[in-house]
Amino acid sequence: MKLRLDPRAKLFLLVLSNLTLFLHVSLRTEIMLVVLLLSLYFLSGKTKSGLRMTAVYLSLVAADLFVIPIAEGFVLNFLSMLSVGIRMMLPCVISGGYAFSTTTVGEMVCAMRKLKIPEVIIIPCVTVVRFFPTIAEDYRHIRNAMALRGIATGNMALLRHPVQSLEYILIPLLMNSNNVAQDLSVASMTKGISMPGVHTSMTEIKMTKTDYLYMVLCTIPFVLFLGGVM
Amino acid sequence: MKPTNKLTVPDLISIGVFTALYFVLVTIATFSSAALFPGFNNVVLPAVCALISGSVYMLLAAKLQKFGGISVMGIVMGMFFMTSGHFIVSFAANIVMGIVADFVAKAGSYKSRKGLLFSYVLFSYGLFGPVLPMWFMKDAYVANLEARGKDAVYIAELFANINMGTFVFAVVATLVCALIGGWFGQKMIKKHFVKAGIV
Repeated sequence: MKLRLDPRAKLFLLVLSNLTLFLHVSLRTEIMLVVLLLSLYFLSGKTKSGLRMTAVYLSLVAADLFVIPIAEGFVLNFLSMLSVGIRMMLPCVISGGYAFSTTTVGEMVCAMRKLKIPEVIIIPCVTVVRFFPTIAEDYRHIRNAMALRGIATGNMALLRHPVQSLEYILIPLLMNSNNVAQDLSVASMTKGISMPGVHTSMTEIKMTKTDYLYMVLCTIPFVLFLGGVM
Repeated sequence: MKPTNKLTVPDLISIGVFTALYFVLVTIATFSSAALFPGFNNVVLPAVCALISGSVYMLLAAKLQKFGGISVMGIVMGMFFMTSGHFIVSFAANIVMGIVADFVAKAGSYKSRKGLLFSYVLFSYGLFGPVLPMWFMKDAYVANLEARGKDAVYIAELFANINMGTFVFAVVATLVCALIGGWFGQKMIKKHFVKAGIV
């Protein structure tokens, strides 16, 4: 069976991985946490992105341990930027990527309501998630229309006239967004989004033993680090 | 429906739609600055983004004409930064700058061109969130290099001009780019939306 964590547990993991930056944890602590986070990918059936993240992390650690001691000058500067700078962000990227790729919109709304986040924030958030695919689709239509008129065809053409490209792509996108915002408002008002009172939800979320177990597991590296064991 | 000063559901949905567009532009800015200035991408990101997303901001301000829109946009941006694995401080920076920018725009009752331009500059500084870890991480860089057996003097030299210099550079570049981007945005809104009677 595939593992499914509660969105709130994912949020907790996200905050934890941000702590690695604040606390300047040791490499060992970081590796422990990253291993735990990465195994989430494999347990939830996201093998491909799990492997990709593992490869990136491993190569950065390897660069840090083996290349930096012998590097000098510019190479050192660049590599330390890469291996320390990017590597320190990686726990956040890993847990964020996990949260993003495994949470459905329904679960997200449900979790936000349970966390007592006001509707003023929830509604725009949902709209953002719902709207991303529309932007991609619009962009393709706009590029097709531009190609039909012989504007900016070819690979680098957009970069040759950046201001024109910006205007020709962004303005239609904005026009359409404006219309879609109206349509979406009508659609969601019909479904009673502005009704007062508690809303029911198709998706039910619940914190299970697995959630708590994983939260505790991921806290252990920090406890060990703060306790001076590592 | 009678016009109110509070945000209605259609307003919130508009905010969501424009925030999504803004987010896409931030993503484009992230990738292009990473491609153009590898290693320093976080420093130039606010500037690049300010340059291209003026029209989105100006259209949102022109469409809503009430307090709260820009703040909510900042908050939602911050939340998405956080869940897409950015540093938690970006959350705070976006919210604070969003609310400040909203107050500035309100002072010009969302009509004054200069007021809006100024508030756009402030809003652009909200993107400094992802840059901030650089200063947090300086110690970590140094400690790491020391652990790898590098000379302390050498390390000090390496970072002496990176920090203050890059910070000032990032602030100035963002200011200039936000002014240009905001001006361009206002011009576009006037050319395409005001004339068409949409806002």
